[in-house]
Amino acid sequence: MPQAGLPDFADDLARALDACGAGRVDIPVIQPAEPFLDMAGEDLRRRIFLTESETGESLCLRPEFTIPVCRAHIAENVATPRRYSYLGKVFRQRRDGASEFFQAGVEDLGEVDEAQSDARALAEARALIASFAPSCEPAVTLGDQSVFEAVIAGLGLPAGWQKRLIHAFGNAQALDTMIARLASPDQASDPDPSVAGFLARGDVAGLEDHITAVMEATGYSTHASRSPTEIAARLMEKQALDATRLPPGSLDALKSFLALDLPLDRAADALTDFAATAGLDIGDARTRFAARLDALRAAGEDLSAIRWRAAFGRPLDYYTGLVFEVAAGEGGPVLAGGGRYDRLMTLLGARQSIPAVGFSLWLDRIESARAG
Amino acid sequence: MTITVALPSKGRMKDDAIAVFARAGLEVSAIGNDRSYRGRINGIDGVEVAFLSASEIARELGAGAVDFGITGEDLVCESLARADDRVEICARLGFGNADVVVAVPDIWKDVTTMADLGDVAADFRARHGRRLTIATKYWRLTQTFFSTRHGIQLYRIVESLGATEGAPASGAADIIVDITTTGSTLKANHLRILSDGVILGSEACLVRARKSSHEGDENVARLLSAVRGVC
Repeated sequence: MPQAGLPDFADDLARALDACGAGRVDIPVIQPAEPFLDMAGEDLRRRIFLTESETGESLCLRPEFTIPVCRAHIAENVATPRRYSYLGKVFRQRRDGASEFFQAGVEDLGEVDEAQSDARALAEARALIASFAPSCEPAVTLGDQSVFEAVIAGLGLPAGWQKRLIHAFGNAQALDTMIARLASPDQASDPDPSVAGFLARGDVAGLEDHITAVMEATGYSTHASRSPTEIAARLMEKQALDATRLPPGSLDALKSFLALDLPLDRAADALTDFAATAGLDIGDARTRFAARLDALRAAGEDLSAIRWRAAFGRPLDYYTGLVFEVAAGEGGPVLAGGGRYDRLMTLLGARQSIPAVGFSLWLDRIESARAG
Repeated sequence: MTITVALPSKGRMKDDAIAVFARAGLEVSAIGNDRSYRGRINGIDGVEVAFLSASEIARELGAGAVDFGITGEDLVCESLARADDRVEICARLGFGNADVVVAVPDIWKDVTTMADLGDVAADFRARHGRRLTIATKYWRLTQTFFSTRHGIQLYRIVESLGATEGAPASGAADIIVDITTTGSTLKANHLRILSDGVILGSEACLVRARKSSHEGDENVARLLSAVRGVC
């Protein structure tokens, strides 16, 4: 019996996903809420459908598939590499649009050839859009967080600043704020008088002892939350960060990198030119970027039809490299989105690191694109 | 149409609210006995007074079940989604002043601003295997302030309905978002407000539920101008 509201192309799509070599998984609609809130942050709470079990466990209607598919993989302890596909309803509170809609997609877990599996995910997503929304002119955009990370490492920024920028990557406003701070740092406020002496002398051990003594005297545990070591280290680091001024040349380099937006067939040259002009060594990231381009070409993708935007990323801390999306025309609704999230599996409790890449399709939007 | 005004049912808030109304020439009297939860305004027909708890007043205003209420701005902002669409703050009454603030253990000497807290939150999971936790009863205010204003997403809220200031020392949470008047309870618990950590400077307000029937209503206009005249 067909599921209510399931688009008429769903059966064909399920067969197409199967043909990608990705076995279909059934994910329960009711999920523990913790993993979603833990991965995406507290803000998600307003956008999911939450309830509580009789025993007080937080439960939600599945807001997406990637996290439960990965958790099921970890729980079943399946050998990798392994590809999964899914097709079903997801539930999210939205101001506009229905709050339940269908998504389908593929998760590719444990494939160690990064370039190959990246290319495969993008090629499959694009081909699925081409065959299920044939009338729309798809706009494919690609980004790569690891290139951004290489650029800011190449600029010689202190680790603390690199972390801030990487954390903001993918959120244009947050990144602009960070860059503005880096260009003209906040007036470094004077450190608290109780620790200023230690900082001036560079006395880390003394600082830690002092913090430990205060915590013990005020009834704070030294290990339940931030430890004296952590606080002391960040106090020292903060002085260095406050003193960091990005030289105008480096600031311009960072800005001109983030402004790169061009067809993917010209991306490798543009990246080389950029690195040469800015005098940066981004060798490794450039090599991996080029390997992915080769793999995409080998998969039959037309690179001139894909745009590379250097500033394109997702502001979630488990995304690590490739991100891409397929939209219904320039600026149109996103029909498919995907990316590499190598950090997710260990965050979810996998004992060893498992590389992962995947994509998901928005079936309601594909349905409209077919109609339009 | 009868207009219902909800006033706080007990304590300083009740006395202060009645005093403001008295200054405005609106003499509130309880119906029956002093402990009654219904009242009227002497000399004005068609206005009822309901004595409710301050948080209930915010909720009832949001639902449109009462027309006016005196309650804290913090409760209005916390209890109502899109408060501005549903209620109007007509007058600030100058009592019940309190700030909703972000406070961290004072010994976190490296954390003085929200930007510092953002750094710590971003790193927290890698260092501690869990997200930074915030004890609060102000879910909505916290989420808006952290996510929208400061771009901080990676934290978890631990609901706390009382003695929130004790949560960091007891290990129940890392930091808190709470209401404070003088800051003395925070200080006593070795907590410190971040320099840009005031989420809301709250005070008791006269709040009106946005209803189209209020337009041209004589009693509505009269109440408004009377209270605004003394604030």
